[in-house]
Amino acid sequence: MARDFGPVMDRRDLFRLGGVGLAGIALAGLTTGLAGCAPSGSGGSSTGTLTMLYFGDQKAATTLQTALQPKVKKIDKDLTLKVTAINGTDWNDFLAKVLTLIAAGQAPDMVSVATEGLQLMASKELIVPLDTYVTKDMASLKSSYFNDIHPALIEAMMYQGHLYNMPDSFNAGSMFYNTGILHKAGIAAPSASWTVDDFHTMAQGIKKVGGQTLPFDWVVRLWGSWTSFLYANGGNLLEEGKYSGGDWLWSKAYDAGNPLITGRQGGWKWGAPTANSAPSVEALQYVIDMQKTGLSPSPDVGGGGTLQGLFSSGRIGMTIGGGFWAGGLTNAGMKNGSFDVQAFPSWKGNKSLFGTGGYSIFKSSQKKDAAWEVIKMMIEPESFDIMFPGNVTTPGRKSLMTAERYKTTGPDHWSVFYDQLNGSVPISAPSYYNALATSLNQRTTQAVSSGSAKSALDAMQSDLEKAATGS
Amino acid sequence: MSSVAAVPHAVVEEDVPHHKAKPPRVVRRRPGARRTARREAVFGYAMIFLAMLFVTVFTFLPILASLGLSFFDWDVISPPKFVGIANYQRFLADGPVLQSFGTTICMAIAIVVLQLSLGLFLAVLVNQRTSTFGRTFFRTTFYLPLLASTAAVSIFMGYLFDAKFGAINYYLGLLGLPGVPWLTSPFGAQVTIVLIVVWQQVGFTFVLFVSALMSVPIDVLEASSIDGAGPLRTLFRIKVPLISPTILFAAVIALINAMQLFDQPYIMTKGGPGTATTTATISMYQTGFQNLQFGYSSAIAIVLLLLILAITGMQFLASRKLVFYQ
Repeated sequence: MARDFGPVMDRRDLFRLGGVGLAGIALAGLTTGLAGCAPSGSGGSSTGTLTMLYFGDQKAATTLQTALQPKVKKIDKDLTLKVTAINGTDWNDFLAKVLTLIAAGQAPDMVSVATEGLQLMASKELIVPLDTYVTKDMASLKSSYFNDIHPALIEAMMYQGHLYNMPDSFNAGSMFYNTGILHKAGIAAPSASWTVDDFHTMAQGIKKVGGQTLPFDWVVRLWGSWTSFLYANGGNLLEEGKYSGGDWLWSKAYDAGNPLITGRQGGWKWGAPTANSAPSVEALQYVIDMQKTGLSPSPDVGGGGTLQGLFSSGRIGMTIGGGFWAGGLTNAGMKNGSFDVQAFPSWKGNKSLFGTGGYSIFKSSQKKDAAWEVIKMMIEPESFDIMFPGNVTTPGRKSLMTAERYKTTGPDHWSVFYDQLNGSVPISAPSYYNALATSLNQRTTQAVSSGSAKSALDAMQSDLEKAATGS
Repeated sequence: MSSVAAVPHAVVEEDVPHHKAKPPRVVRRRPGARRTARREAVFGYAMIFLAMLFVTVFTFLPILASLGLSFFDWDVISPPKFVGIANYQRFLADGPVLQSFGTTICMAIAIVVLQLSLGLFLAVLVNQRTSTFGRTFFRTTFYLPLLASTAAVSIFMGYLFDAKFGAINYYLGLLGLPGVPWLTSPFGAQVTIVLIVVWQQVGFTFVLFVSALMSVPIDVLEASSIDGAGPLRTLFRIKVPLISPTILFAAVIALINAMQLFDQPYIMTKGGPGTATTTATISMYQTGFQNLQFGYSSAIAIVLLLLILAITGMQFLASRKLVFYQ
């Protein structure tokens, strides 16, 4: 029988198959795409993978992961470390994204936590106290860690008497200056005992340089903003207090009689808001008046990238920075010697601020013991430059604060970073830090644009009172 | 007997009296037609299944989830707590959030009015005076900003409009003019952001209007010209009424976008100075992702959704009198 040779498939079948195929491809693409969009490696796993959230870009996180992997294998050959990066303009941004991941059920085993997020995470019981682990390993930690770390950093990571984080880095708010601009203005470098009056005189001297150069700039944020002037003026945004407790740590982790542990307790207890106190109004009005008199531009909000660009291109004479600026300014093209640093000038007192960062274990982690071992590895001295290559933050260990470290980047007066910790207070980051940061940004820009600190700070006081009561 | 009876399964489409008699049109339905129609329907639904799935998963479910969440107090970390309509009651008494809605409405009105009028103005100019090449050139040129990343544009504009170091004030200074606090004064920041949004979005409206103007029947224009109508009268009495459906569409889209304004103010001013450019979506973001009040944030989102629906509904109601469908 002869066979009819017609079309193998009619048009309708072709469309049908095409539709089904397209649908299949699209569904597969959707599934793959969504899987690809999901943050890889997050989620407290119960397999041999430890996950950690890292504040930075994924390239740096992958480099870190690769560098730390051999050390993790030494702890447990079946253990693998997965570092997931979270980008952000500042710790506030990082924290918001971490919380979003947690909301999505993607809590990691470990997380980098800075002062900004410590009390929030601890109060919500997202992270666990490390007291048991520290006590267990106290003998080795005392000599290898605690005696090398400034107790101010440890106390800043305590909450209600418990230690929630092992800090390895910090940044104190010091004053950076462009040596070339000072030279052009014929002004000598500031001395260690300088005051806000000296600072003002220097600013007026730099103004005479003219052109595109302005004497001073700052960023609207909690760390190293007008808040540095507030601290120097003897104030704070919240009442300062301390939680009782902590003897379990101070009596065993540090040698008795160490003057640096005098008065240390169970962590900072932030009390009632004092945003519109006299020191606060005076400090904010001071920086506003600097702008009014042409001594500084209008400040940016958050981050600090723009400020870094302005400073490194010689448009700003002085600004508030920490150890992270040594690497930051070098990366921005500034040569060693073209900038230097001095402790923040004293005003009513010499209180200054700092923020610190370290590692915590998530409550949801299935492998807390392994996470603790990895944290101990990450806070070893030799891990610091793997974690933070190129002086992008200040080492928490005094043994790492050496002339050798700052030989290529500068600044010459690098020692002020650590010395400034004496008598300094951490940034006031209570459990409602995010609401505080939002209000601080809004009310500061409101004050700057209106030219008056008082009414904006009254509004901020009201915001903080509401946030403190959770309304 | 009519021929109908001779044709099995035939249907008379027009049942007219025989004396008026066009011969009846007969639609022949082949055997199994109903089954085929059902298959085609199934195939049609299969084709739109993915789209429906996307809309359901990424639009309807999130809206329903937000609606549900708006009746809870949830900080992401602790278990959600049912609070009834407390979040909505709080919204009605929350001055800063209400203010952000006011800011959004004011900025949205400014954006829509500017976007439509500028888009129409440019479209009329290009449509009237240019060759096909010129029309294509301008259409591409005006549309390009829309293709740029809003985040990148916002960062770039932030530098451009910087009060002290921005290029705009630099050139104003060269002309002997004082610097303008573009982003550092409340009114300046609002105006600057509106202008930037309009600059970026006007291309879309422009392209719509150019196409609509090209479809205006030439004989109508010739008739109006013969009747002595000048260019302005032709524009407002002939062209605008004829393209009014397109204007309505552009207005609805522009308003919906403007009511959800987030990227530009968040990146350029973080909602400041103060709360001058804090829009409803920024309030929503701050409440949810910064202050960890996801229930309240969802309530704000639902109110914003209802507001947008109401305004869009009002636009359609108004269109009954203002829009001319040919």
